[in-house]
Amino acid sequence: MLEVENIECRYGKANVLHKVSVDVKQGELVTLIGANGAGKSSTLRAISGLLPPVSGRISFLGEDITNASPRRILEMGIAHCPEGRRIFPFMTVEENLEIGAYRRNDRKQIADDMDGVYHRFPVLGERRGQAAGTLSGGEQQMLAIGRALMSRPKLVIFDEPSLGLAPNNVQKTFDYIMEINRQGTTVLMVEQNAYAALEMCDRSFLLESGQIALHGRGEDLIRDQHVRRAYLGDEG
Amino acid sequence: MEQLLQHLVNAIILGSTYALLGIGLTFIFGIMRVVNFAHGELYTFGAYMVYLFSVILGVNFLLAIAIAIVLGVLLGAAIEYTLLRKLRGADVDTTMLVMIGAWIIMQNGEQLIWSGVAKSIPTPFPEEPLSLGLVSVAWSRVFVFVVAIALIILAQTIIQRTRLGKAMRATFQDRDTAALMGININVIYLATFALGSGLASAAGALLGPIFIVMPTMGNLAVLKAFAIVILGGLGNMKGAAIGGFVLALVEEFGAGYVSSGYRDAMGFLLIILVLMVKPTGLFARSERIG
Repeated sequence: MLEVENIECRYGKANVLHKVSVDVKQGELVTLIGANGAGKSSTLRAISGLLPPVSGRISFLGEDITNASPRRILEMGIAHCPEGRRIFPFMTVEENLEIGAYRRNDRKQIADDMDGVYHRFPVLGERRGQAAGTLSGGEQQMLAIGRALMSRPKLVIFDEPSLGLAPNNVQKTFDYIMEINRQGTTVLMVEQNAYAALEMCDRSFLLESGQIALHGRGEDLIRDQHVRRAYLGDEG
Repeated sequence: MEQLLQHLVNAIILGSTYALLGIGLTFIFGIMRVVNFAHGELYTFGAYMVYLFSVILGVNFLLAIAIAIVLGVLLGAAIEYTLLRKLRGADVDTTMLVMIGAWIIMQNGEQLIWSGVAKSIPTPFPEEPLSLGLVSVAWSRVFVFVVAIALIILAQTIIQRTRLGKAMRATFQDRDTAALMGININVIYLATFALGSGLASAAGALLGPIFIVMPTMGNLAVLKAFAIVILGGLGNMKGAAIGGFVLALVEEFGAGYVSSGYRDAMGFLLIILVLMVKPTGLFARSERIG
């Protein structure tokens, strides 16, 4: 479904990605793990058009999207739920969801989808007229996910969805992401919590210093010596 | 008492046009981070367009004002498209210098086209002022007030209620995330600069017939607009609206009770005081558009 082939990205003169290749198949839940600064977020930003690669190729559903605009990529069916939630704090909950559906014109279905989000998270429905910045961290995360789903994506990209959340909200967030995946939406997720990321995924890619160091099924990586030592805190 | 009320009424009328100027400027800064030194030239442009259409071409006065506002919007769009679009991602200082260049070019262009001789624009309103008990107001000023308030409400409605306005606010709050939601940032910037310019042009179109029209009229206007924006807190539209009225009140009462020669200095004295006491502006508690 999504093929990232040998992409290189730069911030100014610094190379942050060296020939990174990642692929996601229809219906999968794929995770990217790695240390801070390994290039996980940059990979996601390259896919959604915020950081166009200087070389390499990205294609989605057979179409080349390497240098496409974020808008075009969204219209193709990729939604990006950014790191740190990034909800619009001074806009209401409802306006945030409306912006999520910005490229759509089907008013009736937009209203239905919005009701769907409120049904799944009644607290968002209760606070629909409230500024989103007044929500708790967990509620903001639910809003950010709901907003990403408002574009009716085929693939959702999650960047560190558990970041800064209380433990009970972390589990709720992961549960919700797995639920979205079970309902047929393909998921690509970056997650700092390597153990959770490997447990819930179909396949995972390990990024180290801007390169893919390992990839494979989650259950295999979880048993890998290198992964255990470096990312799962295994002393043995 | 009469004098006090008269000053108050004058200040409210003048304040409505100051608010118009300030809102346009703060709106452009808030969303685009562009310090628009050409703002005063759009004000001048609006006044000259009313002169052109109403006096030279003999178009109906009200229609001439509407045309001036529309042309101001178009000129703003043209400036954004030709100058600012190429400077996307440049730092604030660079765009500031370019806008200072635009200011100088536009002002000299006006001088070239219209000459330095001041022009006046007759209004179709009755000479007899509107009498409100203790105070009286010229009909032409009542008109300015009504139109200015209507335009402020219109701008507010666009920003709060429309799809475009929501996209503008989203862009203001988080540009990258707005782009991820499929918002075309270029379109938002174009619309923002056009709308802000239209408001400046409207202020000039409204005040031109009340005062006189000359190429340098924008200089004081842009300075005052900056003062208003600083008073209200950068990027804060409600703050700019209130700032406009505060500045007009200070000027009007300063001129009335202290010294009329220091009318324009009063406002800047106020800015200095505000900056000393509350450098973020009076209403900068939550920086926001809307």
